[in-house]
Amino acid sequence: MAGNSAGETPGAPAQKPKAPLPKSRALVNEQTAGVYARAWEAHERGEPVGWSTAIFPQELCETFDVPVLYPENNAAAISARHMGEPFIQHAEGEMKYPINICSYARLNMGMADKMRKAESIQTQGIDPAMAPPAFLCLANNSCTQLMKWYENLSRNLNIPVFFVDCLFNYSEEEPAAHKIAYVRGQIENCIRQMEEFFGKKFDWDRFLEVQRISQTNRVLFNEIVALNARKPAPMNGFDLFNYMAPLVICRGKESTTVILTELKKETEAHIAAGTSTFRGEEKHRVHWEGIACWPNLGHNLKTLGGYGVNAVMNGYVTAWDVAYEPGDLDGMARAYQVSSTNSLTTPGIMKKRIASIDRFGCDGMLCHVNRSCKLMTFHIMVGREMIEEEAKVPVANFDGDQSDTRVFSEAQFETRLQGLVEIMSGNRNKNGNKEARHA
Amino acid sequence: MLTMGLDIGSTACKSIILRDGEQILARSVVPLGTGTVGPRKAFGEALDLAGVARSEIDRILLTGYGRFSFDDADGQMSEVSCHARGIYFLLPSVRTVVDIGGQDVKALRLSEKGALENFVMNDKCAAGTGRFLGVMAGVMNVKTEDLGALSEGATEEVSISNTCTVFAESEVISRLSAGVRLADLTAGIHASVAKRVASLVFRGGVVRDVALSGGVALNRGVVRALARELKIDVLVHPDCQMAGAIGAALFARQQL
Repeated sequence: MAGNSAGETPGAPAQKPKAPLPKSRALVNEQTAGVYARAWEAHERGEPVGWSTAIFPQELCETFDVPVLYPENNAAAISARHMGEPFIQHAEGEMKYPINICSYARLNMGMADKMRKAESIQTQGIDPAMAPPAFLCLANNSCTQLMKWYENLSRNLNIPVFFVDCLFNYSEEEPAAHKIAYVRGQIENCIRQMEEFFGKKFDWDRFLEVQRISQTNRVLFNEIVALNARKPAPMNGFDLFNYMAPLVICRGKESTTVILTELKKETEAHIAAGTSTFRGEEKHRVHWEGIACWPNLGHNLKTLGGYGVNAVMNGYVTAWDVAYEPGDLDGMARAYQVSSTNSLTTPGIMKKRIASIDRFGCDGMLCHVNRSCKLMTFHIMVGREMIEEEAKVPVANFDGDQSDTRVFSEAQFETRLQGLVEIMSGNRNKNGNKEARHA
Repeated sequence: MLTMGLDIGSTACKSIILRDGEQILARSVVPLGTGTVGPRKAFGEALDLAGVARSEIDRILLTGYGRFSFDDADGQMSEVSCHARGIYFLLPSVRTVVDIGGQDVKALRLSEKGALENFVMNDKCAAGTGRFLGVMAGVMNVKTEDLGALSEGATEEVSISNTCTVFAESEVISRLSAGVRLADLTAGIHASVAKRVASLVFRGGVVRDVALSGGVALNRGVVRALARELKIDVLVHPDCQMAGAIGAALFARQQL
């Protein structure tokens, strides 16, 4: 093996230097590091740090200027770096949680328990390491299991939860007026409770500004995603998994505007130059369904690339498209109930996926049957028939998990992907190439 | 024009040589899977039986779990496509192919022209696979290939409630301890496999005709149990075990 150590093999080829990160990616890394550093600094000063579910109304804590970390985002990052197993084992062993519950929850509750027992996460080489929380923010708009996860955190750590209970929209396309009023009332109540907890008044002018920044950022992200409808796509669709981080952890910050503006510029430059971050020829375009298989992201990416498959779009990254008019609290209450498609009916979700498959010119759909996220996964068991019938593209499923490494099988993934590729190739020969609508 | 298909499975290797994509010149089955001498043996046996040298084969295509691990070939394709193609060659009326492999179960949907339209496969679990049968045969101290004949003597079916291979193995051991007849127990094992496979087939949709592919199709007990679960006749061709290899050889011919 080639290397730079004193013991390297004589005459071995030098390691290929890694390509420098695009500026936008470097900015994402810098932003993330800054968010964690700020939280630790606040913790060390004895100031409150929050842990929040991924689609909680972030505008509140942003307005209060209180640091917040996101366990789901943290679990994804730690899993992608293969550091999650000790926490999952701790949750299943010492804490007695079953394998059936969400692996993000197991990972995070294991980590929180180790923190509670004064085991320093920072000194264990865990990156990024979360500062311990003093309060929790919970919205159940993407998953109801979050409620038990956060309830357990709250009980075990003896800290309060600011809870926004969102109602699912199983029988209607749009949330009914009473649902909007219910969520608005809870947001207003959270503001009152937070004023008391943080010991400061809520600045409604700053809130309006945060809302404006949040809307600028979500619109920018949508514009970038839309650029990938180009054929060939200017981006490897898996890049979206990385660039959604600023929307999750800093949606109301101007630093995200800077990142997304840079990313948009880079993506447009790729279009102008006829280049792409997808390496090699884009032979097939697929729509990815489900959360990323974080521990196996590298393998997924390499295997997809090997078959010339670009997962140009996925239904997961749209969950932070929380669209409302700044100043319209009802609109905000509505938006937090519909941005995650998990809150919709199976036909409602599939209608969105079918439109997206058409818009992005996808030849097929690859679905991550995620052992952890049953809510998202179970839709696809029935939904795939709707996709096949309406969108007229083949669908293949593969088993995996967002954090638990025991579920995924490399050989099974490749066989299913190859089967899908062979069907897509056959369809292409039969029907000719499907043209994508240019953004 | 000679082409070879080599199906390197997890438990057995199958090779076939076709002339002009129509006539089977040689076939070989070696009950050893990938990572053993099985692939090389199946490869050599087919050449010997056909009386041809490697250099006379115009194209060799690999398929199966070990399709990336054999270097003396010209390409590879997934077993999904190869089983579909192979069964269509053997049984052109078939629209639904069920392949019970060593560690995978597949339900394949074919178009009227034999093109693979869609497929569903098992999750990461050995229930309903050939490996499940192999483990149960081991516990009962009988050969896997003898399970079909053994189950024909059943007078009743011993229920196996666990689908998990490990727990089902324990259940079979406890049934043996209770003194049940081997034939009845084997029939119960076949029913367990059939139930698991049928649920997968229903998920993909059942379109007539239905055929069983792969080595497990030679087990008449499984075929009967599956037909009962699906409430439909299940076709089996004598060369069912060769279907993947035949498909690979046909794709090799197409690529020339």
